[in-house]
Amino acid sequence: MAPSRDSALDEKPIKIDKWDSGALKNALDDGAKKVFVDIFRFKESHMLMNGRLFLCTIAIGFAMFALVWDYLYPFPQSRNVLLCCVIAYFILMGVLTVYLTYIEKGIFLVALEQDRAKMEPDNKWTLQSSLRKYDDTYHLTLTFTDGRTQEERSSSISRCVANFFDENGTFCFDLFQPIIEKLRQDLSSEKKKQ
Amino acid sequence: MGAFDFLDEIRRMNARQIYYQFLNFGMIVSSALMIWKGLMVVTGSESPIVVVLSGSMEPAFHRGDLLLLTNHREEPIRVGEIVVFKIEGRDIPIVHRVLKVHEKDDGTVRFLTKGDNNSVDDRGLYAKGQLWLEKKDVVGRAKAFLPYAGIVTILMNDYPKFKYAILAFLGIFVLTHRE
Repeated sequence: MAPSRDSALDEKPIKIDKWDSGALKNALDDGAKKVFVDIFRFKESHMLMNGRLFLCTIAIGFAMFALVWDYLYPFPQSRNVLLCCVIAYFILMGVLTVYLTYIEKGIFLVALEQDRAKMEPDNKWTLQSSLRKYDDTYHLTLTFTDGRTQEERSSSISRCVANFFDENGTFCFDLFQPIIEKLRQDLSSEKKKQ
Repeated sequence: MGAFDFLDEIRRMNARQIYYQFLNFGMIVSSALMIWKGLMVVTGSESPIVVVLSGSMEPAFHRGDLLLLTNHREEPIRVGEIVVFKIEGRDIPIVHRVLKVHEKDDGTVRFLTKGDNNSVDDRGLYAKGQLWLEKKDVVGRAKAFLPYAGIVTILMNDYPKFKYAILAFLGIFVLTHRE
């Protein structure tokens, strides 16, 4: 496992347009993900992303079906099918919005910490972030769910993005990594205290 | 920054994220498509919004005006209404006013149209040997208009390269930018 771990760390530094808040957030999210997946070697759970991809795919499926059906059976004939597809599409868009706001809520990583002996259920680490447009504060919330007791603990930090990027927009992973590691450390040690 | 730095962001994506980029692009296109199809269902017209391309209806409509059409089966066609109709062998529908209507008891309708700004009726524009329009030729009837709102469409039709350049630019922008 060692070589791939080194290669993950030796990658060419990430350089972004520092005035683009979307790119800033993505770079920071990717950095946090790298700490959990490449360095802690936790397993990434894709359930949330899969749900979103599934909803989008179905919605586009309805749109494509309407397009093909309307081509095969020109308009007045295809009216009822079009009506169904249009209603289904807009309902799905509504469901997608609800999914993004209330279920995904900015969660960009769900990492599973597997028990080495595979005896106990996985512990779950959930990372959630937000960076408002025209705001320079990056909010990161780390939630730990104990696999055995299902007990939840969370901790968050808010940092100015300028702490992790240099003047040219290069992401300083070495400055970001300790913060993530400490955040995780704090949550883990809380566990031991109890 | 180098010219191809924007590709870096794609390089850093995993398969799911790349698929989502395409879905995102697809959803923009689908939303436009579904709004259009929804309008078709609501108005009953196969092309609920048209842009006036000629000056034959001046001073009522000018080139570039946007028209909203409806085509409900039960509404009768009356003299003085502005209809949009298709003619066999012509790609582009025509927007003109109804001049004469003949209705029969069995429900068939035949009518003649004329452009307000033209000095003669439309028989010269119809297909060879066609003297009247029928209900099946109608795309819709003008119910509302937005002056000059369709001028971009005219520009795009006149300069197709401009249209493809804009489409390509938007497509690349959406595909290469995350969320």
